[in-house]
Amino acid sequence: MKNINRRNFLKFSSALTFASAGLTSNAKAAPNNILSPDRMGVLVDTTHCVGCRNCEWACKTSHGHDAGDIEKYHNREVFKEFRRPKDHSFTVVNEFENPKNELIPINVKYQCMHCDKPACVSACIVGAFQKNEMGQVTWDGGKCIGCRYCMVACPFQIPTFEYEKAIEPNINKCDFCFERTSKGGIPACVEICPVEALMFGPRTELIRVARQRIKRNPERYKNHIYGEKEVGGTSWMYLSSVDASQLKLPKHKDKTAPGVSESIQHGIFAYFVPPLALYAWLGGIMWISKRRKEIIQEVVEEEAK
Amino acid sequence: MKNYKLYIVLLFLTAGTILLFGSNLKEMKYLSQVEDKNQIKTQKYVQTKPAEAAGEMPKDHSKMEIDCKTCHYCEYPTINEPCLISCPRKDMVSVHHAADEGPEIVELDMIKGDYGVVVFSHKLHAEMSEMSGGCESCHHYNTTGPVLKCITCHEPNRIREDLSKPDLEAAYHRQCLSCHRQWSRETKCQACHINENSPDRAKAIQRIKNSKHPAVHEPEKIVYETIYDKGKLVTFYHDQHVNTYNLNCVSCHHDENCMRCHDVNLKKLRSDAMESQRKKVHKSFEDHHQACIKCHEKDDCGKCHRDRELQRFDHFTSTGFDLKPRHTNLKCTSCHKEAGNYKGLSKNCTSCHSNFAEGKFDHRRIGLELDEVHADLSCGDCHKNNNFANQPKCNDCHDDKYFPHDLPGKKISLVVKDNKVTKTVKKK
Repeated sequence: MKNINRRNFLKFSSALTFASAGLTSNAKAAPNNILSPDRMGVLVDTTHCVGCRNCEWACKTSHGHDAGDIEKYHNREVFKEFRRPKDHSFTVVNEFENPKNELIPINVKYQCMHCDKPACVSACIVGAFQKNEMGQVTWDGGKCIGCRYCMVACPFQIPTFEYEKAIEPNINKCDFCFERTSKGGIPACVEICPVEALMFGPRTELIRVARQRIKRNPERYKNHIYGEKEVGGTSWMYLSSVDASQLKLPKHKDKTAPGVSESIQHGIFAYFVPPLALYAWLGGIMWISKRRKEIIQEVVEEEAK
Repeated sequence: MKNYKLYIVLLFLTAGTILLFGSNLKEMKYLSQVEDKNQIKTQKYVQTKPAEAAGEMPKDHSKMEIDCKTCHYCEYPTINEPCLISCPRKDMVSVHHAADEGPEIVELDMIKGDYGVVVFSHKLHAEMSEMSGGCESCHHYNTTGPVLKCITCHEPNRIREDLSKPDLEAAYHRQCLSCHRQWSRETKCQACHINENSPDRAKAIQRIKNSKHPAVHEPEKIVYETIYDKGKLVTFYHDQHVNTYNLNCVSCHHDENCMRCHDVNLKKLRSDAMESQRKKVHKSFEDHHQACIKCHEKDDCGKCHRDRELQRFDHFTSTGFDLKPRHTNLKCTSCHKEAGNYKGLSKNCTSCHSNFAEGKFDHRRIGLELDEVHADLSCGDCHKNNNFANQPKCNDCHDDKYFPHDLPGKKISLVVKDNKVTKTVKKK
């Protein structure tokens, strides 16, 4: 390592930069959006959910987490506190008061929404996250460096981090049961739901069914499919009898989450002009100030003579 | 010249930053996806055939009183091409059967699960539904023919082509839980499912088979306090509406909610301590009056809305015509023939009894047997102008006789039994 002096380091780093530049120019042949028009989704009908939490049990079981006895999940005491998905519970069900009928509370399941334009994918600096053709947003532990940018970027605050683990902690979130759904199966939570409050199917078909339900039963449903357009559309969508914001589903506009950050990033670095201009400007200032010092020095030296 | 090295470093750094953050990120992302793309291509949505119909329509159902277009979308449906409109249909077709017509117990064992079959007390639920939504509260979108099984429309597979209606498991659970979870606030599977290995299985099935809805407590009188200053109280005699006016339960209680009685928390919620947590359900003017308006449409508000509690209806105090003893067991409509109109009848017997004519009337029927002298007189001799409602006059013939102090015969007591009057002669 003794050979690494300043000159060699500069040579090495410049070579690396050009190499990566070459790599990116090759990658430009890849499609810009590989989402399938038949991609799958899940329609969550909160008016049917009974809050049995079987989905939580099924999720843990199918992901190899310690699930325990399913009967314990039927205890409704947990609803006293609002819960969020955790590193070993990718999905949680919460309960809200029903203003229309106090005897039937509203239960809402939370998990990764599997955005069509995921912010986590955009924010991940090593490409550990990816949006798959059939809708699933998955995470690759082999690539992850644990920066947790995804956690900050997610508009639904879904990715979680295994803080307890000192060595090789994982970023955890619902993977849409990729193992099952990539082989034509259905997610574990959808399979176990006793009332089919979770309906798995092609996203376009789900939107059609959701519209039909709203039309047939305008008193039962708010005329809004949460996730159809939010943050550019999500694979998981919600129907509810009350406003989505009352169910702690964050209010989002139709703009994609990475759309804003990416446009800023791309704008800043467009054709290298802005950074070059900035550095040139800084360099100019440096040069001028340096020059001024030299002139002063010369003047001082001349005066001294 | 020393500075030139620094500028080169700056330039390289700039280029590196641009490439890494500007575009590299996005391209790298897709690069990694290309690798996995071949793997995803095998993924296909599994399609299943719709379940075969469990019940068949009767052959002559085309003659039934229902528009063919309710179920068929083409002009001439055939067996091979029935062109059925998929459920849920726009128009509701409903079935109406008595609770006894259906099965007593239905064992729901179509889905093999971990929790065992459900023994469903069909008759009990059918009886209860008579006061609520009726058969169609479960058998919705049924045809006019036989009552269809759930599986006829609801497919047993969760992965299926037609997502417009829930699968069989969901259809069962939604029907049951929509009511059951309201009063128990629980989603315990064992509340309905009986495990095949359970030692109490036989006992549990027997219990369900024998279960009957407990007798419903009928109130005698309810006094409603309304929001109006004038006519604040409405007194409702429930027993009288049932017994005297012969209204059956369903004529008022057709849209009942099980929760009116079954909610375990309702009592607690109704206590004063829970006042702050209680939400007042606002009923519209129409909803409030709906139960009464069917019969009382023509009545003024003051008929029911009074400042004090209303006395029980009594025919004598209200109209002056005593129903005792011979008219007690009659239905109101036997005399008040005109529907909804209870006014305009005369107290005079002949206004109803046209057969009470001269020489035909057996005077013993009113409890007075005329003696021989009076029996030969014509009616108008005592009853002036043949008006039987007024007191008979004796002073045309007698100077010192007055009815009812003096009688033109002897009194007989009457025994009313099985709506028929029998007479026993009794000496005065």
